[in-house]
Amino acid sequence: MMDSITQKAGIIAAAAFGVVLVSSAGYSSVSAQGLPEGFKKGDLSPAPSAEMIEAGKRVYFTKCVWCHGVDGAGDGPGADRLWPRPRNFNQGTFKIRHTASGELPLFDAKKPIAGQNDLFETVTHGLPGSAMPPWEGILSEEQRLQVLSFVTTELVKDRKFTDKQSETQTILQLAELKPKPATDESKKRGAELIVEKKCVECHGMEGRGDGNAFNLKDDWGFSIQPANWHKCWNFRGSRQDPYNVANIFRTFSTGVNGTPMPSFADNTTVDERWDIANFVSSLCERDPLGNPLPIDPLTDKPKINFVIPSDLVEGEIPAEIEHEAWQKAPKRLVAMGGQITHKPRNFVNRIDDIWVRSLYNDKYIVYLLEWDDRTKSVAEGKLPWAPTQVNIDVKEQDPKTGEEGSIAMKQNNYAVYNDAIAIETAVKWKELPAPIKPRYLFGTNDQYPMDIVKWEADGSLRAFKGTGWDKDFEERDNYEEAMKLVKSEWKNGRWYVMIQRPVGNKKDQDYDEDTFFEVGQYIPTVFFAWDGHNGDAGRKMAVSAFYYTFMNPPVPQETYIYPVVIAVGVVLLEGWVLTRRANRKKGKTL
Amino acid sequence: MKALMSLGALIGVAGLLLLGGMVLDVVPSTYIRLVEGYMPIQMLLEVACYVIGFTGLSYTLNAMGMAIPRFWQGIGFWVFFLLYLKYRMYPPIPFSVRAMYGTVSLVAVFMWVSASEEDWQKFKQPIMNVLDAQTGGNRILRYLYLVLLPILIGGFSFNAMMPKSEEPIELRTVHPAPPASTKVHGKTYTLQTSQNPYRVNPEGKYDQEFSNANIVEQGMGRLMKPNANPWDDKNQGYLKYVREGGEIFFQNCHFCHGDNLNGRGLHAFAFNPIPANFTDPGTIAQLQETFIFWRVSKGGIGLPNEGFPWASVMPPWEQHLTVDEIWKVVLFEYWHTGYYPRTWD
Repeated sequence: MMDSITQKAGIIAAAAFGVVLVSSAGYSSVSAQGLPEGFKKGDLSPAPSAEMIEAGKRVYFTKCVWCHGVDGAGDGPGADRLWPRPRNFNQGTFKIRHTASGELPLFDAKKPIAGQNDLFETVTHGLPGSAMPPWEGILSEEQRLQVLSFVTTELVKDRKFTDKQSETQTILQLAELKPKPATDESKKRGAELIVEKKCVECHGMEGRGDGNAFNLKDDWGFSIQPANWHKCWNFRGSRQDPYNVANIFRTFSTGVNGTPMPSFADNTTVDERWDIANFVSSLCERDPLGNPLPIDPLTDKPKINFVIPSDLVEGEIPAEIEHEAWQKAPKRLVAMGGQITHKPRNFVNRIDDIWVRSLYNDKYIVYLLEWDDRTKSVAEGKLPWAPTQVNIDVKEQDPKTGEEGSIAMKQNNYAVYNDAIAIETAVKWKELPAPIKPRYLFGTNDQYPMDIVKWEADGSLRAFKGTGWDKDFEERDNYEEAMKLVKSEWKNGRWYVMIQRPVGNKKDQDYDEDTFFEVGQYIPTVFFAWDGHNGDAGRKMAVSAFYYTFMNPPVPQETYIYPVVIAVGVVLLEGWVLTRRANRKKGKTL
Repeated sequence: MKALMSLGALIGVAGLLLLGGMVLDVVPSTYIRLVEGYMPIQMLLEVACYVIGFTGLSYTLNAMGMAIPRFWQGIGFWVFFLLYLKYRMYPPIPFSVRAMYGTVSLVAVFMWVSASEEDWQKFKQPIMNVLDAQTGGNRILRYLYLVLLPILIGGFSFNAMMPKSEEPIELRTVHPAPPASTKVHGKTYTLQTSQNPYRVNPEGKYDQEFSNANIVEQGMGRLMKPNANPWDDKNQGYLKYVREGGEIFFQNCHFCHGDNLNGRGLHAFAFNPIPANFTDPGTIAQLQETFIFWRVSKGGIGLPNEGFPWASVMPPWEQHLTVDEIWKVVLFEYWHTGYYPRTWD
């Protein structure tokens, strides 16, 4: 007995040693049992109880049915206006798993344990970047397990979670694989590997998801896009922990079922996968010190600061982004949502944030806008409307249920218009007592208009006056000559646009239609963005909330004088208190 | 008594450890979940727990002969409160509001330490000791103060005078006073007398009791009542319209107000003011159905100035939906959150 155990242990140890030896040599990543490295065979979970399934039905028809549909085919009333579309459960195809490519995900109705229950984690943390919210705190743990019991038994129709004949579980042992430290060496190797393993073909040279973004389709024929590695908070598998490399390692090892993203377990070693994960994670946006951006737990996106500071430069404002002044200028993330207030509404905006920097001198203020757009879009030929036209005929998405008319079906089939960006600032903002402003969407009326500066990918830079959401823009006399498009470049899935405009003075500008920028004041600023390949034009666009452009004043002399005066005053006060106390004590003792 | 106080002490220590963890960012401030909508009352309860804990702690220490002087108790409590406001409160509150609470709590601490002449003497004593500098330690302390105070105050005023850009605080009225009537699609609705035409029983009669009996259950998850599934094809009246309202909601509204009607939709992160959270007892639960009808029909642009019409992206839904559809959506919102609309009587 004893012997056989030691014998077994010996074999296992030898096998393990062999695996280590082989994998570290880098010849093969397949272990002795024919499994990819880092994986182990697992057992199918027992079926959930009938009570759990019945209770789950109640959860499903209260919360989930609205998007996932009565039969779980991902065709609920909300489905057609969503992109990515809600999951069709019928085929048992699930994206985020610890199991090998093509296999069913881990689910056990009795084990709500992180790392051992993929579906439970998906429901708990949601799928960021899609409409699937985190249900933690809304549904109890029990309720989440119940609804999954219902989904996996009643709505997954083509496969069975308990069928030993057809299903296997090959499980990534993520908990046992120690992450490799993200050293420069590891990241460098990762950078080489993503080219070697052809990741860049889809994800793009800089990983902005701009590679073969066009013709990718999921298993159901719906358009789908590769992930943008610079926005890790939108990774579906980020589990509300976007800067954690383990999540990337997992997705890379198991692939994303139902999408063109394959598993790389068979042709990479664990060590190589960590290098790739480290590199991909290192691309995600960080603050100037290299720390992860703070994530707002209410939105699972980076926290927003609504003030866009503009730094003063002496003399000419540099035109090169690499210039020290631009590198030092504070960078602000402007969050963008779809314009869904007025028709035509934009339910799926492909531009969801813009990075903004600004510099100013005595004559001009310059905005540097950078945003990710997988496609460079320049309209072919002349657009069928004038640049000033607002009420243009772009159709918004029908709400009809049926996959043919859905956004996911139409995506990438739109007529191509121009990519564009606009900075909208309040005119005569000083006359409106804070916090009152002209309306964010093209101003309130003729009395409180908006100053709109719009750049389009055809190279035009125009200035308009907006007097209401449904009013066509008005041209502004000779403002366009005063502006300058310093830079506009699309590179590897990102636009870089630098716009220079006058700070404004009564001699050269028109007080009634141009914004006058003043140092040390909060100038209401709104951003609009159009993705030409998304059929964006007119009001079909992405919008931001109100931000404030704030031109940082130079430090006044008094800042250096008064504190010294105050400190001297405190010294005098101290002397007075001490002498008083001493005198009183003397008086007492006398 | 003693056991009770020890228990209090335990609470105090545990609470302080938790707060310490939050300050040092070891424990996330969302570790103990703030229940949506009950945040203020939960905060008050928590602070009350802390006060009980501190009482127990101070009693126990006293019994052990390690009493904390009144002076340090006062300062300690004030510092605790400031840290609590900064690190525990979520969503975070702006500095100016914290400064206000800080001042109020400072006054409260002073009132507490000066409740009686004897207490006040005890409180002052350490200050006087330092001023008099009778011992070596106190002398060092006094010189430290003499040097550091001017430097610190000078530094603070320098910091305060350095030009800074902080987000301006803009306070908005979330539920402004409604008009007496509103005109939607050519028809005038008097807010006081209008009724939701879809709040009807299977016979088609307006029936608030019937609809109230069929809303989701309050409690975790807010699930539908087992025999009141809006997706049942046999439904007539209220539940049938709830489903129709839900379909409209999930084609139009969830983008901002969220799949769970808690204001955390797909686009919500980009907007300011943030979308309303209907599951919060302070929103639709406090309002009449006709108020919601008015707000939905007229949207952000129809708000009076105190509601910030210029910043709200709430669509005037009369531009997108029919009157019937708006009423159905309102019906659905009450059903899904499990609240009864407020009535006029």
